[in-house]
Amino acid sequence: MAEESVLTDDFIRQLINVGEVDVLVGLPTDNNAETIGPIIRTIQAGILKTFPRERAVIINADGGSRDGTPELVMGASIDDVRHAYSGQALRTLHSVSTQYAASPSSDTALRTILAAAELLRAKACAVISPESTNIESEWIARLLRPIYYDNFDLVTPIYRRHKFEGLLMRNLVYPMTRALYGKRIREPYASEFAFSGRLGSDFLARDIWGQEGGRVGREMELAISAITGAYRVSQSFLGTKDRVERRPADLVPVMRQTVAVLFSSLDTTFTVWSNNHGSQPVPTVGPEYDVTLEPVRINRKRLKQMFSNGIAELEPVFKSILSASTLSALQQIASLNDEDFRYPAELWAKTVYEFAASYRKSVISRDHIIQALAPLYRGRMFTFLVENRSGSAEDVENNIENLCCEFERLKPYLLELCNGGK
Amino acid sequence: MREIIWQELTQAMQEAVRGFAHLLPRLIVMLIIAFAGWVIAYLLKWILRSILRLAKFDKLSENAGASQLLNRAALPPSTELLSRFVFWVAWLGFILIGVSLLGIGGLQQHIARFFLFLPRLFVAMFTIFFGLLAASFFSRAALLAAVNANLPSPKLLSISIRAMIIIFVVSMVFEELGLAEQTVLLAFGIAFGAVMLGLAIAFGMGGRDLARQFLEKRFVREKKNEKEDEPSPL
Amino acid sequence: MSERLDALWYKNAVIYQVHVRAFYDSNGDGIGDFDGLAQKLDYLRELGIDAIWLMPFFPSPLRDDGYDIADYTSVHSNYGTLEDFQKFLAAAHERKIRVIVEMVLNHTSDQHPWFQESRSSQDNPRRNWYVWSDTDTRYRGVRIIFLDTEMSNWAWDPISKAYFWHRFFSHQPDLNYDNPAVREQMWNVMKFWLDLGVDAFRLDAVPYLVEREGTSCENLPETHAIIKELRQRLDHEFPGRMLLAEANQWPADLRPYFGDGDEFHMAFHFPLMPRMFMALKLEDRKPITEILQQTPEIPPSCQWALFLRNHDELTLEMVTDLERDYMYDAYARNKTMRLNLGIRRRLAPLLDNDRRRIELMNGMLMSLPGTPIIYYGDEIGMGDNVNLGDRNGVRTPMQWNGGWNGGFSAADPEALYSPLLLNPVYGFQAINVLSQKRTEHSLLSWMQRIIRVRKSAPVFGSGSIEFLYPANHRVLAYARQLGDETILVVNNLSSSAQAVELDLRRYKGKVLIEMFGRNLFPRIGELPYLLTMGPYQFFWFRLRRI
Repeated sequence: MAEESVLTDDFIRQLINVGEVDVLVGLPTDNNAETIGPIIRTIQAGILKTFPRERAVIINADGGSRDGTPELVMGASIDDVRHAYSGQALRTLHSVSTQYAASPSSDTALRTILAAAELLRAKACAVISPESTNIESEWIARLLRPIYYDNFDLVTPIYRRHKFEGLLMRNLVYPMTRALYGKRIREPYASEFAFSGRLGSDFLARDIWGQEGGRVGREMELAISAITGAYRVSQSFLGTKDRVERRPADLVPVMRQTVAVLFSSLDTTFTVWSNNHGSQPVPTVGPEYDVTLEPVRINRKRLKQMFSNGIAELEPVFKSILSASTLSALQQIASLNDEDFRYPAELWAKTVYEFAASYRKSVISRDHIIQALAPLYRGRMFTFLVENRSGSAEDVENNIENLCCEFERLKPYLLELCNGGK
Repeated sequence: MREIIWQELTQAMQEAVRGFAHLLPRLIVMLIIAFAGWVIAYLLKWILRSILRLAKFDKLSENAGASQLLNRAALPPSTELLSRFVFWVAWLGFILIGVSLLGIGGLQQHIARFFLFLPRLFVAMFTIFFGLLAASFFSRAALLAAVNANLPSPKLLSISIRAMIIIFVVSMVFEELGLAEQTVLLAFGIAFGAVMLGLAIAFGMGGRDLARQFLEKRFVREKKNEKEDEPSPL
Repeated sequence: MSERLDALWYKNAVIYQVHVRAFYDSNGDGIGDFDGLAQKLDYLRELGIDAIWLMPFFPSPLRDDGYDIADYTSVHSNYGTLEDFQKFLAAAHERKIRVIVEMVLNHTSDQHPWFQESRSSQDNPRRNWYVWSDTDTRYRGVRIIFLDTEMSNWAWDPISKAYFWHRFFSHQPDLNYDNPAVREQMWNVMKFWLDLGVDAFRLDAVPYLVEREGTSCENLPETHAIIKELRQRLDHEFPGRMLLAEANQWPADLRPYFGDGDEFHMAFHFPLMPRMFMALKLEDRKPITEILQQTPEIPPSCQWALFLRNHDELTLEMVTDLERDYMYDAYARNKTMRLNLGIRRRLAPLLDNDRRRIELMNGMLMSLPGTPIIYYGDEIGMGDNVNLGDRNGVRTPMQWNGGWNGGFSAADPEALYSPLLLNPVYGFQAINVLSQKRTEHSLLSWMQRIIRVRKSAPVFGSGSIEFLYPANHRVLAYARQLGDETILVVNNLSSSAQAVELDLRRYKGKVLIEMFGRNLFPRIGELPYLLTMGPYQFFWFRLRRI
């Protein structure tokens, strides 16, 4: 079948030696030698503590590192000659590494991990990011216990973050996912998550792999599959999420991985989201949100300027995407100065929905639609920063909750747009 | 003498009639062909219109910006236009075949040349169409990229890219149709070269520092402090 | 030459551990005896064993299953007389079977005449034969061994109005080895049996012979000195006899008991045994390789004694808490099966009566470095009775046939020293020697075969061991080597079929000959050697250069 060809012969040989496992931890890497050492030790300790009797394996899907990352990962094996860094091990713990491609791609990495999980018939699998230097061994328990013992199929994380972090998630992805699919999942796209063997196999078997080469955002698709299918989803509070210092996330690629996937899913899951009303909370272990409030330096002016710039320059593009009323409303607020500027929740929801509908109809190239959304999102970011400048954790949470309600309230509008076009 | 004139007349009449009789069947065949051609051409138009509708050709041409052009010229939408064009071309073709049957000398050659010209005409039309499509796509891509990267005057960049592509396409079309090949080639070459040279000088001298920064950003890994001001979206 | 070979007989022997009272009753009193045992020597010879280890048979109040001795130079009347024993010994030697006898050096029963004398008064000549004290504060902090029953290592004797030292039960006072008279007497006791012709002693509880203030009173240098002395005398007067140490310690702590080849000849490798069971359940070789990596080298004339089960519980003393919990959950879910820190079950019930697992465990027993000891009844796959108290569940009568009392005794079934096993799976009608002798594929026939194969290659008893570490952790593979001879042993510890690649480059060019069927297997080349193995399968390969 298609997925086997993702795995090299050498990797298959390694999998033969590992044999059936109960728990699998996947680690996609690309030149992470700086951070990977403590992380791999923490993962090992977590496995030994949480699943001392179970058969476990660490699978490293490496995108062609040249700095010795795979060797570091393989050093976490526990066998006849190598012993646990901490604590005691009843069994052998394999830590295998494979290079899946000549150039890194998070999708192929995920696919490799899914294929390995299926071949090894793992009951519970987790994916850990090699950049999470704040990882604690408890994370393994929090991610995998619900899957292994309580028969959940997907566990998404909740992080402790700064109140101004993750704004795309909190202003767009979370409210929209919640409004569409009725489940209050805070981080549908995350660098750490866990899934059951059943969900993994089903997802791997879908006919989406190897199609459009270079498509991104499969993690998000996995989450959406889980939410819309007959799977049990839960959340677990993990801990502090690192501020990624190394490569600042460029907005547009990130949007491709999340927003584009979310918009695409409107097509494939039409029956699900069109029939869903309101939203329910999802079983959660630990607090639902945890926000730190230390002051940070953010260039707000630039955001507003890019927003106004975008409105001005991209008018012809917006004409194809937005409705006339929305566009004129946006142009109006663009003309305000910094103190008076506000991108209200309702307008933002309408904007997003109109973009989603246009994306679905492919009024212009889909990728361009995503790119066009970026400056508008910046405007929304500006408003969020201003509104929550001196807010407490509860205030921020309330604002987000209001935004979500707005998205839910306007959902019929989205339905109307989608149906009208069809 | 009367008999001679009568004989000559009848002979001439006979000849005329004979000639006519010679021609008439052919004329009838020509008319039949023309009629058949009309039917076939109509069928073709109908099929093509259905295919184009299925392929959402209208949307594509809207993307290309062709629809706007047609609209402004008070022409019918692309699908309709194309179908009708094909209809007329097909029917004309059949008529010409019929005419060639008439055996009127000299006409054959011209008719042949017409048929030879047709493929090039179609190629040219394709080129214009997809050229417009590409121009529209790339100019929009440039516009979005420039806006998101916060570059100055994105509209200018977008329009210049669109213009460049269109000029390029038009020259290709002219060359394909064989109209004023040399002139167009030369004109294009000169214009393109001039633009490039100007840009190079401007960029190189005026944008020295910008160029350096640009290259550094692309080829040297370092902490980009200005970008840090934007919090991570995820 | 043959003298020297004889001196190392224990290296290539297969030992059979048996209770006299459980084997065969010749006089119909419901208790096995020496006459009966003598009658069954042919069976043992046919099985292929080379030595019998007898559980204690000296006169004793039997409050500790015979380990509380009341007379060192006689035979308990239940089992016969001293003459019966001598007849048995002669019959055994005739069949080239050696006899190993239990010798409890550390303590006697409180019914022993020596103790009766010692306690009678302070002036008695045997007073100092035991360890007396006016207070119970000496040797503070020394651990108590029988935690379930004893509160202290000192017991108050009302007759003598003093405390006496006992590391074990309070009715087993410790002898005082600081007293030369004691040492001399114990040597005389041993000499008595050696003169009769006994070939070896299993010395019980050796670490505890000597006490010193401020120590753990275990493994003291003075104890080693005593052992060295015993050994010297033994070698001088009775060459070719053997001393086997019973010391439940970690291998590294056991090493001193071999000395420089001048103390014990053999010692039990206690920590290996539970790990073999653990490895089987985990389907992972790691517990076995780890403990053997920690096992130190021993002098060339010395030998480990390996066993799967014995008369005691499967001890889980020498494992971690994590491992112990795992073993309990894996092998003894039912709490009645647990005793002290162990599991009191026989081999077959522990392995769910799975023939393949039984074969695999025996295969490892016979191929790992050491001398294997088979517990009576395990060669036919006998079961246990956990409803009998203490460890008696694994000491039920030997099952010889499907008839009256399983062929053990002509007495009334109610008169037997222990009830027989009756259930349809392990009862004597299902499991007995006679029916197994009649089939070629019975466990008994298989045991005979594997013992024969083992004895055909001295490598197993005397060779070195080197582990291969194939990436497939479910496969335990090692090479035994003696001189030119190399044998490759590969064991699949998993319940499912496995593929394993072995790195045999150092043996490149050799051909593999499987030792049971003697069939050829492919020659070793440059590439890793691929073997596919069925569930619980094992291979013994002889490597030949052809």
